[in-house]
Amino acid sequence: MSEIILCNRTYSASVFKNECGIGIELASSLTCANPDMIIANTPYLLKNGNSAVCKASLAKLSNPSITKNLTSLALSFGGDNLISLSSISSQLQEYNVGLMGASTSVYANRMGGFVGSVKNYQSALIEYSQVAKSKSPLKVAAKQKAKMAFDKMQNSFKHEVKVVTSQVKSSRGTPLTNFDRGANIAKSSRNMAKLDIMTPVQADKIVKFTKYAKVLGNGLTIIDFGSRVGNIQNSYKAGGNWEREMFIESSSFAASAATGIGVVNVGAGALTFLMVATPIGWIGLIVGGLVVAGAAATASIGMNNIIKDNAGNTYDALIKSL
Amino acid sequence: MNTITMLVGVMIAASMVSGVLYVAFGQITVRKLRKNPKTKGLLGVEYASGWDIINVAQAFSLPRSWTRKIEKSKFSFFYANATVLYENTTKFDQVLGFVFYWVLTTTGLSGALLVLLNYIGIFSE
Repeated sequence: MSEIILCNRTYSASVFKNECGIGIELASSLTCANPDMIIANTPYLLKNGNSAVCKASLAKLSNPSITKNLTSLALSFGGDNLISLSSISSQLQEYNVGLMGASTSVYANRMGGFVGSVKNYQSALIEYSQVAKSKSPLKVAAKQKAKMAFDKMQNSFKHEVKVVTSQVKSSRGTPLTNFDRGANIAKSSRNMAKLDIMTPVQADKIVKFTKYAKVLGNGLTIIDFGSRVGNIQNSYKAGGNWEREMFIESSSFAASAATGIGVVNVGAGALTFLMVATPIGWIGLIVGGLVVAGAAATASIGMNNIIKDNAGNTYDALIKSL
Repeated sequence: MNTITMLVGVMIAASMVSGVLYVAFGQITVRKLRKNPKTKGLLGVEYASGWDIINVAQAFSLPRSWTRKIEKSKFSFFYANATVLYENTTKFDQVLGFVFYWVLTTTGLSGALLVLLNYIGIFSE
């Protein structure tokens, strides 16, 4: 496991030791193995895990174009949350058709609602952390409010929370599953965040996530899940085969949209027939509409996956035969 | 080239063609109908922006007896009104709509079928 710390202000060695309880000699950055001070917006690796894998993760996170955003995100979401969110967002990339087509708006609403409730919880925690610092009597109320946001998230999105947190193997639990942990993180100082990264793949996902998510101050974060264009551009920037990537992205979009539309069309027709031929009435229309939307979402997500898995091969075969 | 690679190729080609037809039919026919006060309000329910294009194409594609039945039912508002549309379009519009609708629907449904077959493991080696 690599422990990576991020600060939003620059510390001298002694202040860092005082504030964080960690000696500076334990930290190393990508460019400096023995720093005399901790520089703001720079990822530092704690030395207890100094293997090649840790170095690889650190190198990925030290990309100068993302470090500032990465630090803000880690501070506003909390390190563990950032890891969880980056892993759902990478799954959501595959579902982004769901965010575009009407056929799949039920699913999109649900995922949007989940991300929204995580954000609510997070901003309630941030409020609590500010109140807690000022030692004001509102502290209890603020904590209550954060607890309510936490419960709401737990009750409405139990399944999603489980899926997300099953990938985080922190022994203390995560703020998403354990309110006390969230409250403790909020109460302690928020100038430093720690990321416990298990694998370089996680680091990759975080890097991607920082490209999609923008912090607009005050913990307000915009997450652009629908970034097919992002995939192509990332591949272009990384010197990859972006034409192939573009072929995959555009064809998977077209095919999954067509699939969704096809299912909605037939489903709506079947519904009309049912409504005309049987006395099921408006309730039937609403329930049936949800079924059709669900089926369309399933089919178009399925199509998206099939195309994404196979379009690369198709592209290669085409190019070879040309 | 194995089966799934080929089928995906066919699927991609078909959805590209339906995409092109979608835009063409929308620009050539439906834009005209949206501006025409006689047809403006009769293009059916839009599940998503641009869905009226599909509704209009559907009106030209289903058998006339079905569309008459739909117009008489209380759910006529879901669908574009075929009678009025036939009066306000040319033969070319109708043929284009017919071709577009069936290409799109066939593509979509074979996509759903492909998902189903893939799900039950037909293509796994």
